[in-house]
Amino acid sequence: MRSLIRLTTSLAALPMTMASLALFALMVLTFADVIMRSVFNAPIEAATELIRIGIALIVFSALPVLSGREGHIAADLLDGPFESWGLQRWRDGLITLACGAMLWFPAGRVIDLAYRALSYGDVTEYLQIPTFYIGMFIAVMTYLTAVVLILRGLLRLFAPQLLDSAT
Amino acid sequence: MIASAIGFAAVFVLVLLRLPIAFAMGLVGMIGLVYETSYRASISMVSRLIIDTSQDYGLSVIPLFILMGLFVNKGGISRELYQVSNAFLGHFRGGLAMATIVACGGFAAICGSSLATAATMSKVAMPEMRKYGYSDSLSTASIAAGGTLGILIPPSVILVIYGLLTETSIGALFIAGIVPGALGILLYLCAVRFSVAMNPEAGPAGPRATWGERLRALNHVWSVLALFALVIGGLYGVLDFWPIHLAFSPTEAAGMGAAGAFLIAWARGGLSWRGLREVLEETTLTSASLFSVLIGAWIFSNFVNLAGLPEGLLATVTALDLGPWVVMGLILVIYIALGCIFESMSMLLLTVPIFFPLVTSLGFDPVWFGIIVVVVTEISLITPPVGLNVFVLKGVVGDVSTGTIFRGVTPFWLVDILRLILLLVFPALVLFLPGQM
Repeated sequence: MRSLIRLTTSLAALPMTMASLALFALMVLTFADVIMRSVFNAPIEAATELIRIGIALIVFSALPVLSGREGHIAADLLDGPFESWGLQRWRDGLITLACGAMLWFPAGRVIDLAYRALSYGDVTEYLQIPTFYIGMFIAVMTYLTAVVLILRGLLRLFAPQLLDSAT
Repeated sequence: MIASAIGFAAVFVLVLLRLPIAFAMGLVGMIGLVYETSYRASISMVSRLIIDTSQDYGLSVIPLFILMGLFVNKGGISRELYQVSNAFLGHFRGGLAMATIVACGGFAAICGSSLATAATMSKVAMPEMRKYGYSDSLSTASIAAGGTLGILIPPSVILVIYGLLTETSIGALFIAGIVPGALGILLYLCAVRFSVAMNPEAGPAGPRATWGERLRALNHVWSVLALFALVIGGLYGVLDFWPIHLAFSPTEAAGMGAAGAFLIAWARGGLSWRGLREVLEETTLTSASLFSVLIGAWIFSNFVNLAGLPEGLLATVTALDLGPWVVMGLILVIYIALGCIFESMSMLLLTVPIFFPLVTSLGFDPVWFGIIVVVVTEISLITPPVGLNVFVLKGVVGDVSTGTIFRGVTPFWLVDILRLILLLVFPALVLFLPGQM
């Protein structure tokens, strides 16, 4: 079990690398677009749609990792009282579990929408990239985020020592 | 109206239970939408929002501006900014604290986060002020207060989020932040003078730097000042070098800023492969968390709009026959009260969907209101009991009690209140520059 958690942690490098590459490409693309337009009067026409895809790649690659590290913005105002009542573990576990469960519903619907785009043959304006791929990517990563959150919540509730020793 | 009030209360409770703010707003919004429409409609709306938000061209400003700040930081600019301000101001009484304020302002001009500004500057300025025998209370207070400049002086992540939530021009918001930000620096300098006038031992004068030393110090930071000028000048559309005319949309300005910052950091040799990787990963994680809160906030604001909260609030205000300024006063009181409990991003996300429609229908300017909200949020960063910057500082410095920091910071938030009043009475301070765009 412990090695499984370690494996998951090291697997997280994969989406992070993808997100980082997409971000760097986004930066270079925006820069190149401005220079091409201002200096050579020849804007990169596909820039807008590539940037849009780039953002989806960045955000949804990073989302499972962010969630796995419990990095979401939250208020820790009542941490003191919860700790002194000894309820912190239960609260954190249930909260994480709830977050995971919550993502399950829209993720399914995103898949439906992606398939609808496939059946309509929707493609992007310049590069003719099928929007189905983007929708599917978002849906899969949302599911993955949900799974990560649910597993993490369960571990926090029932085997907190595993979580603490492996991360 | 009642449904949204219950919804708001539910979000409040969930956030206090430490449910991440994105999930709290998303969940309550989703359930509220089910109540207002149907399950199918609610889920459709939510999944559409997820798909559209994550491919919104305008939102690319978020990762790019964060990236710019982190790159510049890797280049070691915070120390150099401090050295320059020190060379010019260090020989005054309280000069090192004044240099801290100015360096914070300079750092804020490339970094959009107050907490990052405070955390970074405390590592640079604190040892220096200790060396010259500055009192802990003045040194920590000047960093905590100077750090709040981060969210007002453009580029500012909070202003970007406000602009996106309310569909207000981000370019105009950035330009509007310049004068209030400069005013903030000026008033903070007065607050330092006041502190040392009250207690001269708190900030002894340092040695005077020669002009040669000053110019050498300036030589290290010109590239960053040029980058700031490029980004803001491009946004403002004043960079006209015939035949090249540089006018940027916020996304383009952010892209130019990030690429420029990357080149600066790389040229200075401050960027290893490992460093590059760290910066990119940190940016993607921060961006993902900001996108999550934005999606959550949009779901929630869809719900309160459908539930008729804006109309309801307006009707209530009209029925009670409250003047616009009374309403504005009440809103500011609510902000200051909430600021005692919530950190700035959560506060903004919770309140703006509710207050913004009301405020604009009362005839206030959306850009002006954005700046006012940010200034009030800044005040909440340094006031007890939850002055977040104070806690960041306590975390970094360690051996100073929060009580000492809060004591030192009092003159600073007093001048902040003064600035707020000035901006309320003279809206032109905010609106003049964007009006020229």
